[in-house]
Amino acid sequence: MTAEPRAEAPADLDADWRELVTTALLGTDRRPPPEVSIPVAEVVDDAVRPDDAARMLAAVGAVAAARRASFVPGPAATPLQPPAVDTRPWCSAASVECWRDIVSDWPVLEDEWVLTVVEQGLRVPPDALAELLFRHRADAVRRTRIALAAGPAAGWLTDQIDRLVPSSSSVSVSVSVSAESVTSLPDLPLPPDLAELLSADAHTFAARLVEGFTSSTYGAAHKAVLVNLLARCRPAVLLDAAEALDQVGVGLALALGDLARLRHRMLTTLGIAV
Amino acid sequence: MQQAWTIEQVAAVAPSPRSVAAAEPLAVATRWSALGADERALWGRCQGSGAEPYDTVVDHAEVAWRCTCPSRRLPCKHALALLLLWVRGGVGAGSRPESVQSWIDARDRRASGERGATDRPAPEPGVAPDADPGGAAPADPIDRGDLDRARDERVARMMEGLAQLDRWLEDRMRTGLADPALARYATWDELAARLVDARAGALANRVRRLAGLVGAGPDWHSEVLAELGFLHLIAQAGRRLPTLPGPLADAVATASGWQVRQADVLAGVPETDDWFVAGRSDVREDRIEVRRTWLRGAESGRWAMLLSFAAYQQTLDDSFVVGTIVHADLHRYPGGSLRALAGRRYADPLPFRTPDALGVAEACDAIGSAVAREPWLERYPATVRVMPSVLDGRWVVTDEHGSLPLLGDDRAIATLVAASAGSPVDVTVEWTPRGVQPLTVHLADRTLDIGPRADPTFVGAA
Repeated sequence: MTAEPRAEAPADLDADWRELVTTALLGTDRRPPPEVSIPVAEVVDDAVRPDDAARMLAAVGAVAAARRASFVPGPAATPLQPPAVDTRPWCSAASVECWRDIVSDWPVLEDEWVLTVVEQGLRVPPDALAELLFRHRADAVRRTRIALAAGPAAGWLTDQIDRLVPSSSSVSVSVSVSAESVTSLPDLPLPPDLAELLSADAHTFAARLVEGFTSSTYGAAHKAVLVNLLARCRPAVLLDAAEALDQVGVGLALALGDLARLRHRMLTTLGIAV
Repeated sequence: MQQAWTIEQVAAVAPSPRSVAAAEPLAVATRWSALGADERALWGRCQGSGAEPYDTVVDHAEVAWRCTCPSRRLPCKHALALLLLWVRGGVGAGSRPESVQSWIDARDRRASGERGATDRPAPEPGVAPDADPGGAAPADPIDRGDLDRARDERVARMMEGLAQLDRWLEDRMRTGLADPALARYATWDELAARLVDARAGALANRVRRLAGLVGAGPDWHSEVLAELGFLHLIAQAGRRLPTLPGPLADAVATASGWQVRQADVLAGVPETDDWFVAGRSDVREDRIEVRRTWLRGAESGRWAMLLSFAAYQQTLDDSFVVGTIVHADLHRYPGGSLRALAGRRYADPLPFRTPDALGVAEACDAIGSAVAREPWLERYPATVRVMPSVLDGRWVVTDEHGSLPLLGDDRAIATLVAASAGSPVDVTVEWTPRGVQPLTVHLADRTLDIGPRADPTFVGAA
C-alpha cells in the first residue's frame, strides 16, 4: 500500500507534497522549505513564521490536511468474473453459528456438519466458506468435501485468494481422493462394549452411560471413545443422553452432555428432524 | 463520589506501558487492605515484596500520588494498581483516614500558597465543572474555587505542553526525518511522557502510534511527515482554543486529550434514535485493546462511535450487536463529536434491516467533508455498495465511478469476496488514511461481522 492519498488528490497538492517530503528527509538546516501552491500558501503565510523550520511545519500541516480532505476515488476496477450459478440455498445463520461452536469446542463434529449441509441440499455461506478453506488448506479429502458443500464458489474463491491455494508441500497435487472417503463420515474407533450402543434405544443408551459413570467404569481415560460414541450415535438418543449425563454431574459427563446437545443443535439447525 | 476514571486514563498517566503491565498483578483485592475511596482520593495498603505493606494514596481529582514504596517511577505500580482496582469497581467508599487527610490538606495548602490568595479565580455562577449530572450544587463554595483553580492549572499545563510539542516538531523539521534519533523508540516515548505530564493524553497516544510508523514501510517518510503535520495542526489549534468557535474548540480539546467526565457527557441532551449497529473494529494500542462500535441513526442519518477499552484479561463491551437496531439515547462528547456514550435503551434490539449504502464517490465526499472539519481524524465510517476487485495487484472496493484501497487480513477479504461473488454488496467500512477496512457485509438475510477482532488470549471472555 502506498502512502496517502490512496485515491487521487489535485496534482499540485501531490507535487507540493513530494517536495515537502524531499525537504523533510534532509531537514531545513540543509535545504530551504519549498514554495507551495497558492491556496495553501495563503494559509501558511497567514501567520508570522520566524524561521524555515516553522514555515516548513506550517506547510506540512496545511498540505497534509488539504490532501486528506480533497481525496477522490482511484480509477474504477474491472469487476471479478462471478462463479457459476448454484441455486442451492445457503444454510441458515443459526447453523453457521453452530458450526463456529463446533470448531471452537468439538471439532469432531465438523465433518458431519459439512456432509449434512450437502445431504440437505444446502450450500455453505460465504463467511463459513472462507474459514473452512483456510482451516483445511492441507487436507485434500476435506477440501473436496467443502467443494461439494459450497459448489462452484469454493474453487472460484481459491482462485481469487492466493493464501487459499493449497501449497504443494502440504497437499500433493497428484493425490487421488476416493468418492467414498469424501461422501462418508470417517470411522472413529470404538471398543465393542460401546460400539453395541450405536444401535441402542434412547433409554438403554442413557442408562448405560449413567451406569458407567456411577460405577466408575468410565473415567478420564475413556474420554476419547465416549466422544466418538456421541459423535456417531443415533441422533434420536442425543437429548436423553445429555439429560442423563447432566445428572451424573461430574466434569467429564457434563462436557459430554454439552457435546450431545451441540450435535443435536447442529442437526436441527440444518433441518433434520431429530 | 466522583466517577472512576477509564482504563485509558490510567494508561495515560503511567510512565510507560510496562508500568501498567507491572501493576496488573497487584490490581486484585487480595493484595490490598484498608482500601477506601471518596470524591477526592483513593487509599490502601498493598502487600508488596517488602515485609511491611506499602501505604498508597492517589488524589484522583487533582491527579497526584504518594506511596511508601522505594520506587522512583511516578506513579509507581502500586498507585497504578490502586487506580486499576478502582476503575474495576474494586474499591468501595470509605472515610478518609487521618494520614490521607493530612496529605490532601498539605497539597491544598501548597497549591494555595503557590497561587496566592488574590490570584484565585472567582467562581463562575452556575458553572461547576465537576458537579454531578443531577445538577446538585457543590456543598462548599471553597471546593468549587479549588476545582476551578485546578482546571486553570490543567489548562496552563496543557498549553505549555502544546508549545513544547510544537518546538519539538520544528526541531524535527530542522534535523530531518533521516535523523537516526527518530528510529529510537525512546525519542518518541520521552515526548509522549511529556505530553502525559501536560495532561494531553490523546496526543501522547498519537505520538506512540506514530513511533510505530517509522521504518514500517517503503513510504514511511511520507506517512510520518503527514502525522507530524497533523500534530502541528492540533498543537496550533490547541494554543488558540479560546479564540476558536465553540464546536471546533471542543473538537480540538478532545483531540488534545482534554478529559471530559462521563457524567458531564451523560448530563447532556441525548440523541434518541433507532441506532443501526453498523460495524465494530478492535485495535491494540499499547497495552490496551480499543473497540470502536459504529452506529448510524435511522432518523438523523448521523454516525456515532462508542468506545470500549480492555487491559489484559478485561472484557470489551459486547452489548451492541452488529446488524441489529437499538432504540436508545446516545450522548455525544462536546463539539458534535463522533464519540458518544450510550444512555437509556428503550427496547430490545430490533430486527435486522438493510442499511442505506453510498457509492464510492459519495462516500469520498462524506469522508472528505468530515476530514475537512477535523483534519486529524484517523477513522471515519461509511456504508458503501461496492464490489471487491483487484487493481494494479492490490485489493480495492470499486463501483463504476471509482475505487478505494482495501485493508484487512486475508480472512476478512476472502469473506468479502465470497459474499460479493463478483456482484455489488453493501459493506460498512472504516476509512483510514491508508485505505478502507471492511467491518461488516450486509446481506439480504444475514450480517457478516468481519472487522478486526481483539486477540482472545488478551481480552477476557464477556
